[in-house]
Amino acid sequence: MELNDANLQSLTEFLRKTLDPDPAVRRPAEKFLESVEGNQNYPLLLLTMLEKSQDQVIRVCAAVTFKNYIKRNWRIVEDEPNKVSDADRTAIKANIVNLMLSSPEQIQKQLSDAISIIGREDFPQKWPDLLTEMVNHFRSGDFHIINGVLRTAHSLFKRYRHEFKSNELWTEIKLVLDTFALPLTELFKATIELCQTHATDVNALKVLFSSLTLISKLFYSLNFQDLPEFFEDNMETWMTNFHGLLTLDNKLLQTNDEEEAGLLELLKSQICDNAALYAQKYDEEFQPYLPRFVTAIWNLLVSTGQEVKYDLLVSNAIQFLASVCERPHYKHLFEDQNTLTSICEKVIVPNMEFRSADEEAFEDNSEEYIRRDLEGSDIDTRRRAACDLVRGLCKFFEGPVTAIFSGYVNSMLGEYAKSPGQNWKHKDAAIYLVTSLASKAQTQKHGITQANELVDLNEFFVNHILSDLKSPNVNEFPVLKADAIKYVMIFRSQLPKEQLLQAVPLLISHLQAESTVEHTYAAHALERLFTMRGPNNSTLITPAEMAPFTEQLLNNLFKALALPGSEENEYIMKAIMRSFSLLQNAIVPYIPTLIGQLTHKLLLVSKNPSKPHFNHYLFESLCLSVRITCKANSTTVSSFEEALFPVFTEILQNDVQEFLPYVFQVMSLLLEIHSNSIPSSYMALFPHLLQPVLWERTGNIPPLVRLLQAYLEKGGASIASSAADKIPGLLGVFQKLIASKANDHQGFYLINSIIEHMPAESITQYRKQIYILLFQRLQGSKTTKFIKSFLVFINLYCVKYGAIALQEMFDSIQPKMFGMVLEKIIIPEVQKVSGPVEKKICAVGITKILTECPSMMDTEYTKLWTPLLQALIGFFELPEDDSIPDDEHFIDIEDTPGYQTAFSQLAFAGKKEHDPIGDAVGNPKILLAQSLHKLSTACPGRVPSMLSTSLNADALQFLQGYLQAATVQLV
Amino acid sequence: MPTKNVDERISKFKNKGKDPAKLRDKRISACVELRKANKDENFMKRRNISVDLSSDYISNEMVASLDIEDIIKDVNSNCRESQTRGCQAARKLLSQERNPPLKEIIDSGLLARFVSFLSMDDEPNLQFEAAWALTNIASGTSWHTQQVVEHGAVPSFIALLASPMLHISEQAVWALGNIAGDGAAYRDILIECNVVPALLARISPDTPVGYLRNLTWTLSNLCRNKNPFPPLSAVQQMLPSLIQLLHLSDKDILSDACWAISYLSDGDNDRIDVVVRTGIVPRLVELMSHEEISVMTPALRSIGNIVSGSDLQTQVAVDAEVLKVIPVLMRHQKPSVQKEAAWALSNIAAGPCRQIQQLITCGLLVPLVEQLRNGDFKTQREAVWAVTNFTSGGTVEQVVHLVHSGALEAIINLLQVKDAKVILVILEAINNIFMAAEKLGETEKLSLLVEELGGLDRIEMLQNHDNELVYQAAHTLIEKYFGDGDVVGVKVESTEEAFVFKTSDVKKTFEF
Repeated sequence: MELNDANLQSLTEFLRKTLDPDPAVRRPAEKFLESVEGNQNYPLLLLTMLEKSQDQVIRVCAAVTFKNYIKRNWRIVEDEPNKVSDADRTAIKANIVNLMLSSPEQIQKQLSDAISIIGREDFPQKWPDLLTEMVNHFRSGDFHIINGVLRTAHSLFKRYRHEFKSNELWTEIKLVLDTFALPLTELFKATIELCQTHATDVNALKVLFSSLTLISKLFYSLNFQDLPEFFEDNMETWMTNFHGLLTLDNKLLQTNDEEEAGLLELLKSQICDNAALYAQKYDEEFQPYLPRFVTAIWNLLVSTGQEVKYDLLVSNAIQFLASVCERPHYKHLFEDQNTLTSICEKVIVPNMEFRSADEEAFEDNSEEYIRRDLEGSDIDTRRRAACDLVRGLCKFFEGPVTAIFSGYVNSMLGEYAKSPGQNWKHKDAAIYLVTSLASKAQTQKHGITQANELVDLNEFFVNHILSDLKSPNVNEFPVLKADAIKYVMIFRSQLPKEQLLQAVPLLISHLQAESTVEHTYAAHALERLFTMRGPNNSTLITPAEMAPFTEQLLNNLFKALALPGSEENEYIMKAIMRSFSLLQNAIVPYIPTLIGQLTHKLLLVSKNPSKPHFNHYLFESLCLSVRITCKANSTTVSSFEEALFPVFTEILQNDVQEFLPYVFQVMSLLLEIHSNSIPSSYMALFPHLLQPVLWERTGNIPPLVRLLQAYLEKGGASIASSAADKIPGLLGVFQKLIASKANDHQGFYLINSIIEHMPAESITQYRKQIYILLFQRLQGSKTTKFIKSFLVFINLYCVKYGAIALQEMFDSIQPKMFGMVLEKIIIPEVQKVSGPVEKKICAVGITKILTECPSMMDTEYTKLWTPLLQALIGFFELPEDDSIPDDEHFIDIEDTPGYQTAFSQLAFAGKKEHDPIGDAVGNPKILLAQSLHKLSTACPGRVPSMLSTSLNADALQFLQGYLQAATVQLV
Repeated sequence: MPTKNVDERISKFKNKGKDPAKLRDKRISACVELRKANKDENFMKRRNISVDLSSDYISNEMVASLDIEDIIKDVNSNCRESQTRGCQAARKLLSQERNPPLKEIIDSGLLARFVSFLSMDDEPNLQFEAAWALTNIASGTSWHTQQVVEHGAVPSFIALLASPMLHISEQAVWALGNIAGDGAAYRDILIECNVVPALLARISPDTPVGYLRNLTWTLSNLCRNKNPFPPLSAVQQMLPSLIQLLHLSDKDILSDACWAISYLSDGDNDRIDVVVRTGIVPRLVELMSHEEISVMTPALRSIGNIVSGSDLQTQVAVDAEVLKVIPVLMRHQKPSVQKEAAWALSNIAAGPCRQIQQLITCGLLVPLVEQLRNGDFKTQREAVWAVTNFTSGGTVEQVVHLVHSGALEAIINLLQVKDAKVILVILEAINNIFMAAEKLGETEKLSLLVEELGGLDRIEMLQNHDNELVYQAAHTLIEKYFGDGDVVGVKVESTEEAFVFKTSDVKKTFEF
C-alpha cells in the first residue's frame, strides 16, 4: 500500500462505512480493513488520516482504529510472523508522541493508549529515546502538552504498582528514574509556583491542578517498588509540597457538583495515598514527616463536608489515620485526650451519620443497601472507614475511646428522645456507633464473635432496641426498625436467650413491614436465630418454644414473599427453609397448603431462573416438606408426586438447565421413599435419563447417578424384565463415567448398584466387558481414587457371586490374571480403602477369596495366600494409608468422592448410607476366624502350616485374638 | 567513596525438591537496586586523608600547597627533592576533604611517574608519597582505579608489601585494597600476581593494630564480589588467617574479618561449606552479640548466609545456639538488623521439621509474630517468608502451633500491603495452613477463623488485584475453601438416546 492520496481516499471511505448502522454496509467494510491491515504503510495511512482529515468523525474513527490495530498486532509472538513491518514500527515510534501531543483531547487519549501498548513491548530497549523526548516537552511551558506527556507516562508506569520485583523491571525503573525523576521534580516545583502566580485564574488553575494530580500519581508509581535513592534525597521537596497542597484551599476550584469529585479532591486523595504508601513501606525514612501529615489529614477531615464528592477523599484520609494509629511508635500522636476526643467528635461521628444518599438507597435500591450494610461490600464507604478507625484506635485506647463515645451515644439518644420524628437519624448514628465500637470479630455464620467488654450490649438492647421492635406500627421509622433488627442479628451470640425469645415474635411481625430492607432483615434475623446451637448440639430455640408462633411465622413468611419487590427474596426463602427444618413435625398440618404455594412459586421462577440462591432454598424447602411429611406417613409421597410432577415435567421438557440437578435430587428423594416397587410414572422417564446430552453437563452427573441408583434399588427386576433393551445404555453411562478421572467414582456407584440389585442373569452377558473396561482404565491411567473404587467393586462382586466366579472371570480374560490382580492391586493397595462400608465389603470379599477359592489352595496362586491374609490383617489393624503419589495431588483434592463440586447439592435431599452387606456380617474379624476354621477343617493341617511358615509374628498374634474371640481353633 | 551499590547478597532459600511449594525455591534478590546504598555496609574503597601511619609521617599541614602546574613541574623534574616536594603536594591535594582533583592529576600525566617512584627502594620518602597519592587516586571511581592499574602499579605495590619500612608497606596494603575493591576483575588480577601470600606474610604477633586493620580490610576486599567468586585456592589460603583475626578483640579488625566471611559465605552450598568447615561458626554466633553494630552486622550477615545453605550447614549454626541470639536481634532498635535477623529466621524455617521444632522450642515464634504485627515493612516481608516456609515444611502440629501463636491473624492483616509479591506469599501460607487443616478435618473451622479475622473480605478483594498471579491465588483459595470448584469430563461414543457400551479390541495384554 502506497502512502498516497488515492489510498487515503479509499481508506477514508471504508472507515466511514464501518460507522454505518446497517450491518450489510458495515460488516464488509470491517472485513476489508482487516484484510488489508497486514500491508506495509497501513498504520501510517491511519495516522495521516487522524492528523489531516477534514472530517472530525473520520479523525476520531482513524484514531480508534489505529489503537485497536496496535493492540492486535504490535506484540511479536514467538514463532509467529511479525505483523507490523519494521519500517512502519520505526515511523510510528518516531512520530506518535508529537502527534499525540498536538492532537485534540479525544484523539490524544487514543494515541496515549497506543503509546502505552507499544511502550509495554518496546520500552525501554527498543524505544530508547521515548523518555527523553517526553521529558523535553516539560520545558514547552504548554500545559496541554505537558498533561499529555504526564498521562502517557502514567499509563506506562502504573504497572510498577502491581508487578513483582525482578531485575528486568527494576532496571527499567532505574532507567526511568535516571531520566525522569529530576525533570518531574522540577516540573512539580514549577507547577506549584505557577499555581500561586495564577491563583486567580480559574482556567489556568484547572489545568495546573490536573498536572499536579498526574504528577502525584506518577510519584506513587515510581515509589511503589522501593524507595528510590533520588526520592529519598528529595523527600524534603516532595513532602513539604505535598503537605502544602493538602492544606491548600482555593475557592475557585471548589465545585458545585455534589456527586463528582473535583480537582482538589482528586489531588488530595492521591496525596493521602502517597503518604499512606510511605508510612507503610518506608517508615524509617518517612518518620520525620509523618506527624505533620497526621495533623494535616485530620484537619482536612474536620473541614470536609458531607457531600458524596468527598467520599473517596474522606475514606482515603480516614484509612490513612486508621493505619497509622495502630502502630506502636505512633501511639503518642493520638494518646492525648483532646486529640482523641477531637478525632471521635469531628472525624468519626460525622462520618457515621445517615446521609440522604443512604436514605435514597434504603428506599429505592434496597438490594444495593442490603449488600453494603449486611454483606460488607462497603469497602470504600465513609462508614466503613470510620468503623476501621474506631477499631484501630481501640487497639491502644479502648477505654478512653469507649468512654468518649458513650458520651456521644447518650447525647445523640437524648436528641432523639426530644423529637423522634425530627431526630431519628441521631439514633441511627448512635446504634451504628455502638455496633462498630462493640464488634471486634464477626462471621456470617455466627454474627459478632468477640465484643468489646466495656460496652453493655444487653443493657443497650433493653433500653434502646427493644422499644423500636415493640412499636406497634411496623412501618414507622423503617430505618430505625432495620437497625434494631440488625442489632439482634449481629449480637445474637452475646444476648441472653430470654431476650432472643422475646425478640422472636417481634421479628415475626416485622416480616409484614412494607419496607423491603426491614422485612428482609426480619427474615434474615429469624433465619440466623434458628441456626444457633444450644446445649447438646440441638438448636438454641426449640420447636416447643416456637409452638405459640408457628402459624404466625409461616403465614408472615409466605405473605412477605408476596410483598412488592420481594417476590424472589432469597432471605425470606432461606428463612422458610430454616423454619421448616427447625419446626419439623409441627409443620405437617400446614404442608398441604404450603406445598401448593411452593410449587406455584417454582412454576413461576422456572420460566426465567434469575436468583440462584432463592431457587436453591426453594428446592431445599420442597425437600424438607417431603421428608418431614413422609417420615410421619410414607403413603403421602403420592400426593407430593401429584403436586410436583406436572411442574417437573415442564422443567424437563423445557430443559431448564439450572433446575435439572435439583429435580433429579427431589425425584430421588421421592423414589427412595417408595417401598419395593417402582411406579409406572417413573418407568416412563427411565429411557430419557440415559440421554447423553444430560450427562455432558457435569452438574447433572451426581444427582443423575443417585437417581439411577434409586431406580435400580427399587426396580432392578422391573428394568430387567420390561426394559432389558435399556441395559446397554445404562452400562454406556457407566463406561462414560469411568473414562473420566473426575467422575469415575460415580461410575462405580452405578455399577455397584447394578451388581447388587439387577438379577444376575440379566447382566451375565456384559460382565466380561465390564471387567475389560476396568482393566483398560487400570492399565492406562490408574489413580488412587480409581483403585480404591475398583477394590470395593471387585470385592462386592466376590461377595455377590462368590470367589470362584471372580477368579474364573479374571482368568478367562487373560491367563493368570487373578494372581496378578491379587499381587499388584489387592495386596499392596487395600490399605488405602476408606469408609466403614467400603472397608467391610473389602474385608468380607478378601475373606471369601482366602477361604472359598480352591485355586488359592493348590495352584501357583497358593504363594499369595499368606501375603493376602497378612494384608487383610493389616487392613484390620493398621491405620489407613492415605499417602498419595505426587502427581495425583491435585486430582485427589478436587475429585474424591464426597467432595461434590460444581453441582448444587441439596442438603435436605440427603441420602442415607447404604450397606449392601448389612447385618449379614456383624464383625468381619469374627467372620475371618470362622471362615478360616471352616477351611482348616476341610483340609486339616494346611492352614496352620501356611501360617507358621510365612505370616509375621504381629499378624499371627492379631489372628489368634480373632480366633479366640470367635472361640474357634484351626486344625 | 562507595560508587555502586554493595548490597548484592543473594538471599536465597534452600531448595529441596521434595517440597511441592514452588515458593521455597531459591530467593535471589534482584541485583538492581533502587535504594540508596546501605549505610551499614563497609567501604569498597577508602581515601587516605590524614590517618597517622607512622612516625615518619608528615602531616598535610606541614606540606606546602602548590598548584597543579607546579606539582607537574616538580614531579617531572630530575631532582629528588623536587620530586618528593611535588609528590607531597599532590597527595595533599588528593587528600583534601572535598572534590580532590583526581582527574586533573591523571590528566596531567603524572601517574607513570608516581608508579616509577614506587620501586625506588633507596628513596623511601618518595616511595611513600607516591604510594599515598596513588592510593587516593585508586579510591575514586572505576575509571580512576583503572588508570592506576593500567600504569602498572600492581606489581610495584605487591613488591612494596615486603618493604622493611612498615608505613610504606602499609600504604601498599591500602592501595591494593582499593584496587581489589574495584571488582572481581582487578581482584583476580591481584590474586594472580600472588598478592595473598605477600599480604599474609605480614601478619605476625608483632604487627601493629593499625597495620592489621588495613590488612584485614584489604583481605576482605579480596574475598569480596561475585560473578565470578574469588578462586577457591586463594580463599583457602586466606581463611586460616581470617579465622585468626576473628579471634582478636579490635572492633575494626573484627568488623572487616566478619565482612570477609560474609562475602565468602554468600554463595552456593559449596562456598558455604568452605567457611563452615573452618569451625568458625560458633565464633560468628558469639560475634552476633557484639556490642559494636559494625561487628554484629557482618556477623549476622555471615550466619544469615550460612543458614541459607544445606540442612547440615544450618544445623551447625543451630548447634552453636544461633536461635538464642536471633530473638534479641529481631528486637534490635535498628530496622535493618531486625530485617536481617528475620531473613535468617526465614531460612531456618525453610528447613526440615526438626529444625522448625527448634524454632518453636527456642521461642522464636513470639518475636516473629511481633514483627509481623508491628515491624518495619522490610522486616515484615522477611517474616512473611518465614511463615510461608514454616507452613510448607512444618508438620500439622507445628502449623497448628504457629496459628495459635497469632501468625495467621498477623499475616491476614498484612494482606493489605502494597507489595504484590508479599501478598502472594501470604496467600501461599494461608493455603498451606488450609492443607494442614484438611489433614485434621478442620477446614471448615479454619474458614470461619479466617473470615472472623477479616481474611475472607481481604481475599475476596484481592480477586480484583491487578497482578494476575495474586488474582489467581486469591480466586483459588476462595473456590477451594469458601466456595465450589469445577470438574472435567471425557468423551465416550454415544447416540441421541444413550451412550454406547462396548469394549475396544484388546490387543495388549494387561500388565499392572
